[in-house]
Amino acid sequence: MKQYGLNRRGFVAAGAAALVAPRLALAQSSPYVVGTLFPMSGPNAEYGSLFTKGIELALEHIRADNMLKRPITMAVQDSLATPQGGAVGMTKLANVDKAVWVMIGFTGVSKAAAPIGTRSKVMMINGGGVGPDLAGLSPYYWNVIPLVNQEVRVLLPWLQKEKLKRIALIYVDDPLGNSVVQELRKGLAETGGELVGAHSIPPATQQFAAIAARVRDSKPDAVYFASYGAQQSQIIKQLRDNGITQQIITYSAGTIPSVVGLPESEGLIVTSQVSDWEQGDEVTQRFVKDWRAKHNGDPTSYNQNYYNAMRLFALLAQGLEKAGTEVTGETLLAELQRVRRFPLVGGEGVLEDGGTMAMPLQIGQIRNGRLQKIA
Amino acid sequence: MLFLQLFISGLQTGAIYALTAAGFALIFGATRVFHVAHGATFALAGYAYLACTDAGLPWPAGALAALVLAVAFGLAMDAFIYRPIQRHEGSFFTVFVAAFGMSIVVQSVIELVFGRGFVTVSSALTMARQVAPGIYLADIFWVAAGVAIALFVLVTLFLERTRAGIGLRALSENPELLRAYGLSSRRLSAMAFGLGSALAVPGAILTTMTSGLQPAISHQVMLISLAAAVVGGIGSLRGAALAGLLLGVVENLVIGVLDTQWSAAAGFVVLFAFILFKPSGLFGQAVTR
Repeated sequence: MKQYGLNRRGFVAAGAAALVAPRLALAQSSPYVVGTLFPMSGPNAEYGSLFTKGIELALEHIRADNMLKRPITMAVQDSLATPQGGAVGMTKLANVDKAVWVMIGFTGVSKAAAPIGTRSKVMMINGGGVGPDLAGLSPYYWNVIPLVNQEVRVLLPWLQKEKLKRIALIYVDDPLGNSVVQELRKGLAETGGELVGAHSIPPATQQFAAIAARVRDSKPDAVYFASYGAQQSQIIKQLRDNGITQQIITYSAGTIPSVVGLPESEGLIVTSQVSDWEQGDEVTQRFVKDWRAKHNGDPTSYNQNYYNAMRLFALLAQGLEKAGTEVTGETLLAELQRVRRFPLVGGEGVLEDGGTMAMPLQIGQIRNGRLQKIA
Repeated sequence: MLFLQLFISGLQTGAIYALTAAGFALIFGATRVFHVAHGATFALAGYAYLACTDAGLPWPAGALAALVLAVAFGLAMDAFIYRPIQRHEGSFFTVFVAAFGMSIVVQSVIELVFGRGFVTVSSALTMARQVAPGIYLADIFWVAAGVAIALFVLVTLFLERTRAGIGLRALSENPELLRAYGLSSRRLSAMAFGLGSALAVPGAILTTMTSGLQPAISHQVMLISLAAAVVGGIGSLRGAALAGLLLGVVENLVIGVLDTQWSAAAGFVVLFAFILFKPSGLFGQAVTR
């Protein structure tokens, strides 16, 4: 048989190239899949909105700066703020959407989702959950938010200074709430204080008049509550309505607008990470300026954290692209462990062993509908 | 003193439960429609009141707006959702799914308009004062109790003394007989939805002022209404009201002896106890098969 310029070897090579080339081209142009696993419905949906807004601004900046060669596609799953929702959502993100980077929030959700993400080698970044056991949860799980044990440690000397010794605690019966009970019980005993009552509540409870009666009965100097979402405002309002005049204290979940803006929140003490919007570095200034232009107000620390979480992906993927390395969960992890220090909103972010990020903390008080630093 | 305080709190909670559950029971008792979207009626009424007060309107205007919206929603559900379903096949499951779906739609609309956070109306009425050593009482307690009593008296008189009320009671049992007496079952069904939806309004307004609202509140409201309807005896307005009151008191009193965690569960323990030992409820009629 006569050959027409293409021998058998050449034909096989051309065939193989024809088969592989579109896939290569597709691989080079196909978008990076980045997932979110936030509560997007139900009583904690306010957090989902806050988290997502931070990511949206980061995406705008990533696109404007042409940071990456390939586009980013977002895959959104509703965690419902429950462990079950977290497990289902992470399974879909890892196995169906093939996300390489998932931004996650809430302690219970994280603990349920982390084993699934780890099995699939998906990088998971938390900017909202604060349970102490989120440190070291998995090599693929990293926190860009200080954890609640650090917040309690900052609070204890302040309680001592203010002579608030008898503390009543209202806490959601979940991994976060239980860790707060342990931290407070241990910390108060060490600083001469006392936990005079620890009242656990299910996450969906909405009536607190009776709990206020129990709290009042224990004659505390201050009331600490560890809850999240819409329930926080209900606790504050009903405690105040039902005659609790003592100091009320909570952790960083109380920085959301619905809590800060509630009239009954006046005087509320909130521990949180320092959010200094006047910081001079370029990344922070750009974030704050564009945020104010877009949302007509100051960002919250949650907006900052998830902006950072999204920006962190872009910085890592950019490094990998420059090195000609494929962007996967494994390579992102390796790049993160190699670099460790990143220019983020709030200054240089240093990711430490144990999956945490060092960050200064503050004690704030709500005064005239604004959270103001007092210590 | 703690128990007395808990009992008082329970009465206030129970009055709100009673009003809400009574509306659900009235609709189910008259039409046999499992109106799961009753929780959505409650949410709509609460948010309408909130929108008006936020706009600076006086509370009667807010209450009127809540009433109009709640009744309009109830009538629309009857006319555009339940009636077409009943015309074709009318299975319980289809009605349930349609109503549940509508609750989700309402929740989403509320989230779009009002956001996903917690909202409330601050009022001097909800601020408790010490009335005796260890006993705190807010003026809203008297409002809740007064409104609940007045409405039950009025609704009971309407159902027992008026031709339309008697027609409503007969609607579920013998629609043919209604026609013989010149009453329209369609009109009576609309009346049941209108009246039942209106009964959700005071509870919604009181909740807006006391524990506040969030878009997903309809599911919680529906759960309580359902529990009260079963404990009170399916379809019994009086039973649902009394059961609502009982659930509120039990939820609060149990905190005096058990961990606060048991509060919500206690109401459902009462529900299970009734299902096991008195399935017909407080005022329901036992049926032998």
